[in-house]
Amino acid sequence: MNGKIAPGIRNLFSKKKAERELDDEMRFHLEMEIEKNLARGLSPEEARREALKSFGGVEKFKDEVRDQSVVRFLETVVQDLKYGLRALWKNPAFSVAAVMTLALGIGANTAIFSVVNGVLLQSLPYGGGERLVRLRMDAPAAHVEDAGFSPLEFADYKAQTRSFDSLVEYHSMWFVLLGRKEPERVQTGVVSADFFDTLGVRPLLGRTFRKGEDAHGAEPVLVLSYAYWMRAFGGDPKVVGRVFEMNDKSHTVVGVLPPIPGYPQENDIYMAVSACPFRSRPMTESNRRARMLQVFGRMKPGVSLAAATSDLTTVAGRLKNAYPDAYPQAGFNVAPLSLRVEMTRQARPTFLILLGTVGLVLLLACANVANLSLARLIRREREMALRSALGADRRRLARQLLTETTVLGLVGGLLGLVLARAGLHLLVAFATRFTPRATEIRIDGPVLIFTLAVSLGTGIALGLIPAVSRRRDLVTSLHEGGERASAGGGRHRVRNLLIVSQVAISFVLLIGAGLMVRTLWNLQQVDPGFQTEKVLTMRVDLNFSKYDTRDKRLAFHEQLLRRIQTEQGVVSAATSGTFPLNEGGPGNGNGQFEIEGQPAAEADLRLQADFQQVSADYFRTIQIPLMRGRTFSPADRVDRPLVALVNQTMARHYWPTEDPLGRRFSFDQKRTWVTIVGVVGDVRQYGLAAAPSDQIYLSLLQYPTLSSTFLIRTVSNPMSMEKLARDTVHGMDPDQPVDHFRTLEQVRSNSLASPRLTALLLALFAVLALVITATGITGVLAFSVSQRFQEFGIRMALGAAPGSVLRMVLSQGMSLVGVGLGLGLAVALLFARLLSGLLFGVRPTDPVTFASVALVLLGVAAAACFFPARRATGADPMHALRNR
Amino acid sequence: MADPKSDLLQGTLDVLILKTLSAAPMHGWGISQRIQQVSEDVLRVNQGSLYPALYRLESQGWIKSEWGVSENNRKAKFYELTRAGRRQLDTETESWERFSSAVARVLQTT
Repeated sequence: MNGKIAPGIRNLFSKKKAERELDDEMRFHLEMEIEKNLARGLSPEEARREALKSFGGVEKFKDEVRDQSVVRFLETVVQDLKYGLRALWKNPAFSVAAVMTLALGIGANTAIFSVVNGVLLQSLPYGGGERLVRLRMDAPAAHVEDAGFSPLEFADYKAQTRSFDSLVEYHSMWFVLLGRKEPERVQTGVVSADFFDTLGVRPLLGRTFRKGEDAHGAEPVLVLSYAYWMRAFGGDPKVVGRVFEMNDKSHTVVGVLPPIPGYPQENDIYMAVSACPFRSRPMTESNRRARMLQVFGRMKPGVSLAAATSDLTTVAGRLKNAYPDAYPQAGFNVAPLSLRVEMTRQARPTFLILLGTVGLVLLLACANVANLSLARLIRREREMALRSALGADRRRLARQLLTETTVLGLVGGLLGLVLARAGLHLLVAFATRFTPRATEIRIDGPVLIFTLAVSLGTGIALGLIPAVSRRRDLVTSLHEGGERASAGGGRHRVRNLLIVSQVAISFVLLIGAGLMVRTLWNLQQVDPGFQTEKVLTMRVDLNFSKYDTRDKRLAFHEQLLRRIQTEQGVVSAATSGTFPLNEGGPGNGNGQFEIEGQPAAEADLRLQADFQQVSADYFRTIQIPLMRGRTFSPADRVDRPLVALVNQTMARHYWPTEDPLGRRFSFDQKRTWVTIVGVVGDVRQYGLAAAPSDQIYLSLLQYPTLSSTFLIRTVSNPMSMEKLARDTVHGMDPDQPVDHFRTLEQVRSNSLASPRLTALLLALFAVLALVITATGITGVLAFSVSQRFQEFGIRMALGAAPGSVLRMVLSQGMSLVGVGLGLGLAVALLFARLLSGLLFGVRPTDPVTFASVALVLLGVAAAACFFPARRATGADPMHALRNR
Repeated sequence: MADPKSDLLQGTLDVLILKTLSAAPMHGWGISQRIQQVSEDVLRVNQGSLYPALYRLESQGWIKSEWGVSENNRKAKFYELTRAGRRQLDTETESWERFSSAVARVLQTT
């Protein structure tokens, strides 16, 4: 039984042991020879000499043995390979089907793993790595979440904490860049001089900021982001050294950053703190309550998050006691959050669910290939049994099969890699919606290793499956009718098991897809509270230095509105701070206020709501219904009484039993009072899934803003207004950028992009799974029918109706499906809650979804069973009888 | 190293080893001594040929080996004939007899 393999393998894998044994054997022989010589009467030295003489060429022999074993083993491997390739070549239907199925399964896994690796597993592309944190400040008792730091606060934390190598500040604003063909609006990150050093980012070209460049009076310099450098300058290295005008100062470009994730925002350029006019004006720098900064830091090596937290808490307490006016009663909680976690928090659940999904798809694909492979083996049962009886080593045969499947796995994996590579940019586009780290997704080392491991693992697992299934004994196999014996042999059982598991997996995947589709549907049905058709939106952000007074801003807005409103095709136009569902645009203001007659008990219980500044026609333009009172009129100007509108949620919240009209509130500590003159309908401001929050609308004429959006309701196609709007704005101020043209429809559709893409992906995989399973069922049943053809013919010859044969085959197939369905049901019920983070408006165990998926699966399975069943009824009794 | 008297062809050595082991399991040295003994010192097996032959026979599955203790309490590797080996011995013996009688016939004719 040892066969050709054993000593070869033994020598290969335990070379030392084999050599030691050889030495022992030789030594024994030598000693015996010496003893013989001693017995003959030779002296010990002569005895030894004689013995050694007759013992020629031992080393040579040892070498020969060594070489032979390795050589022989390799020879057999090469032989197996050639044999396997030939077998696959001669059977193209099987080989192509198997390779394609594996390619799809492995390719999907490679693709999703590259996403998971790039975003979740890989360490940050910053040198600071795991020690990088973002500081987060909350005052939960005062309903303040994630407050910004003021410059004074930042300076205090920087000076007084001991756990950090460095702390740096960051905020992002936009400015107008002059010096290119057109004035350009650039999103600018304003940072401390050691910002990039703290993160551990080395510049691609030139340098980043030097120490002291963020102090007052320093020469303004710029660092470009990689994306902006490529987009605006085509990657021209000569951009370093160029000078641009911004905010009435000359800025020199000193460097370009490498491609790193745009966190917290995608910034086009970066400047030092002193160059930002807003940040460095005395009013901001001396106001402890000007909370505009984000703070990042790098912890000292060996400092834990807990230690840093307590350090920060100590300082926070100290500050609160020193400056009680600037802090709520209960103080602020300040804590460091790992930067890596922050950047991937949104992405984690979705990506992990996708990984689980493609893992299941791969199992499904493997089950399919295993089924095909077993079908082949069953057909070759006789041949195998014969070869085995004639002395072929069974282990060798198994090894040949293993080689075949491993080749299949590797080829499938290679093809899958190509597929994944082809779809890479789609994947990145998908991932970008969830995390800024999407740019780090690529097919690199770890992904290749993963693909190799999966391919090998799949190939080997497939090769071992026949070994697991019991074979029928030799005699039965060799017997003429042996192949046609009833479907009960070990191999058939394994095939049935595979079908059951395929059905179960398909069910689970379909449930996931079904729940996501329902979520998408629910989201689309949500009434946003306003009309999205035929409205064009655009962003018009006024230059900070040019429009520095309220009157100038007002004049601009009024003139713009007047000009647009008189145009043909315009129903109404409005200016607003922002509009609902506007992602990536200016947000609402959020502020504290107090209601007259409802005094705030303590500082930390001050009320908060969203503020939005809008022009008079805003509500008419996007059709937010007016519930009570009136909307703004052109009469609500600066010198008139201050007025405001509230939404229904806020009205119900603070005046549940009385009429809010006429009530007054103040948001500047009772210096001025604002009167409520109307109540409007709620809108979904932050997303279709988020419930409306308290909203206060102020008149733009009384509170003119810098950054605003401009909305136009048109008679026909909104996009046709784009040129007109652009020309009008430039006609008023040629340096004023106007961009981000989108229709409200597009905005709304965009807000659904994430769930839509997720649903699409899951549905894709589920349908793929269903198709694979259906073909698997058809294949197994067809095979079984072909094996039992004779039996069916005999049955019908003996008087059985074709219908009964049909029923027999159908019930055979559907009973498998039934078991699979039950298994899938149990698994789905168990694990469905993993999806709950992604769902909206539907429970993870929603009965309607489960029932409909089950019906669909049963229907498809029945159709899959039908065709082989029908074929069974075509068995000709005469033909069957004649063929014994 | 090659003594004309004991220069055995590879195939012949194989069958001699098989025959020796058909009586009882034996270690390598024992096999060489026995062959020498039984052939009345005509055939002397050289270690350089013996052990390769044993290795080859083992890898073809005709003999199998096991470590044991020799008659003078030393660790030694014992070889034993397998069933396949026994069959092979019969085949080889038969063909050897046919061969040698054919050679004898040719030599007898003058």
